[in-house]
Amino acid sequence: MNITLDRVWKSYGVGAGQFWAVEDARLSVSTGDFVSIVGPSGSGKSTLLHLLGCLDTPTKGDILIDGESTARKSDRELSLVRRDRIGFVFQQFFLNGSMTSWQNVLLPMEIAKVRDRRAKASQALEWVGLGTKLKSYPSELSGGEQQRVAIARALANSPDLLLADEPTGSLDSETGARVLGILSALNTEREIGVVVVTHDGDVARRAKETIEVRDGRIS
Amino acid sequence: MIWIIYANAKKRKSRLVMTVGGIAIGVATLFALLALSSGIEGALEREIGGLGAHILLLPEGCPYTLTLALMQGADTVEYVPEDVVPRVRETENVRVGVPVVVGKVKANGTLVPVYGTTEDIFQLKAWGRSPFSGALVGSNVATNLKLEVGDRLTLDLYSEEPVEVTRILPTTGGRDDTFVFVPLATAQKVLGLEGKLSGILVQTVNVSRLSQTRTTLGKMAEVQAVPPSEVFDALIGLFGSVKQTLILITGIAIAVGVLTTMNTMTMAVYERKRDIGLLRALGSTRRDIFGLFVSESLLVSLAGGVLGLAGGYVASYLLPRTSGFGIDASPHFSLAYVGICLLVAVAVGTLSAIYPAMMAARMQPIRTLREL
Repeated sequence: MNITLDRVWKSYGVGAGQFWAVEDARLSVSTGDFVSIVGPSGSGKSTLLHLLGCLDTPTKGDILIDGESTARKSDRELSLVRRDRIGFVFQQFFLNGSMTSWQNVLLPMEIAKVRDRRAKASQALEWVGLGTKLKSYPSELSGGEQQRVAIARALANSPDLLLADEPTGSLDSETGARVLGILSALNTEREIGVVVVTHDGDVARRAKETIEVRDGRIS
Repeated sequence: MIWIIYANAKKRKSRLVMTVGGIAIGVATLFALLALSSGIEGALEREIGGLGAHILLLPEGCPYTLTLALMQGADTVEYVPEDVVPRVRETENVRVGVPVVVGKVKANGTLVPVYGTTEDIFQLKAWGRSPFSGALVGSNVATNLKLEVGDRLTLDLYSEEPVEVTRILPTTGGRDDTFVFVPLATAQKVLGLEGKLSGILVQTVNVSRLSQTRTTLGKMAEVQAVPPSEVFDALIGLFGSVKQTLILITGIAIAVGVLTTMNTMTMAVYERKRDIGLLRALGSTRRDIFGLFVSESLLVSLAGGVLGLAGGYVASYLLPRTSGFGIDASPHFSLAYVGICLLVAVAVGTLSAIYPAMMAARMQPIRTLREL
């Protein structure tokens, strides 16, 4: 899988309040890549990640998936790209507190009626080392464990690309290192393309490629 | 899907209970109303049909009140003179004219309705023939007063008349079960109504000429001729207008239920912005999100519906069973009513979910996540 940002601009607000979060971004990410996106807060890193993940649409320019423009793709088509080919991990984990870790992983697959979802959810949790915590609720898990549940959830549909927004931002250095190890393993063992937005120098050093963003521009 | 709804419900137990409760109250009211109405209509039909007459000859006055009094064994002010009976029987197309006098007397110290008539009554009732002497006792009276054939019964009001129980009548499920049937003269004596009748039950030879016979009988002095079907239609019409008002009130309650559930679901959409945004980010389509919220609402409404059916069943037995016409009407339950009530619950669930579900489905994942 390849996602390419082709001269992408993204603005928010209107009139005098309009500002450009991303300016003229040209970026290509493929299966097997490990890219870190670094830069100061508010530089447009997360916006770039959201554009790569088809969570947001460009104001100008185009996003290509395997060479095909997404400009005319419907909301449903983009949703299916996210469901089947892209996994997301967020800094705040975003786990449902009233569901067990297994249910949290199962949730998106259940709604999408994915085949063999129960087994896939279990396998994903086992892969991140939480095979014994299937029935644990998020409140019973440490921060690192919660982030691993979130990674398992992102992996449940065997994505080609994993997009992580500050995945170690809420974790101590030791736990962060473990989560980082998992992301590296995903890249090397399963050849999943990993794009990480981070402030963490360790994360950036692990990446095969680092992109720096300043004031919305890739430098 | 159900486990997702259950997990989400766990977070908002009190709100769930209130929503389910609101729907349950509406459905319970509807179910009880349908069951009781049907029971009352059935009882009216059974009671009036149970008179066994094509035409009632009643004293002058309100025909509905007088018919009900005849059915219930209640006292009235006006009476039919007994000397009308031979003329009635001689009227063309009259097959049988049965004189009847009713009233309440003390039977062995307990107040019961007494029904004085002649053995012609056997032609109108499905009891089977037997000699008509002493007292023929309705099954409920026999049970309540612990009477058996051969027992002595003292009827006491304006005079005292000891009679022997000669027969316990078969259970009919109708008003006949509550009467003590005695010869006309006996009843008239005890009730102090010598020479007077509460009415005359007329059966015709040819029903297609009922109208002419009614006109002929109606011309007699001091009486009016009323077909029981007319009384039935009038009472059903009267009851129907009350029923319509009650259904309207129930409808309003259900409409309020829809709005309340809609409000709850809308609040839930705002509260679950994070979940919705996340699900959209993870690949759920708008249709998936719409389906999730509609399913939730439907399940909640169905739970309310089932609870409402149970509540309505209990309520219909706890509420007064009388129709206001003095008729004891047990609620009548049918699968159709269960179906109607569950359909109403499903409609409440669907209607109340559409707007919030659309709102949830329209949420842009990135905007939702950015707000967190």
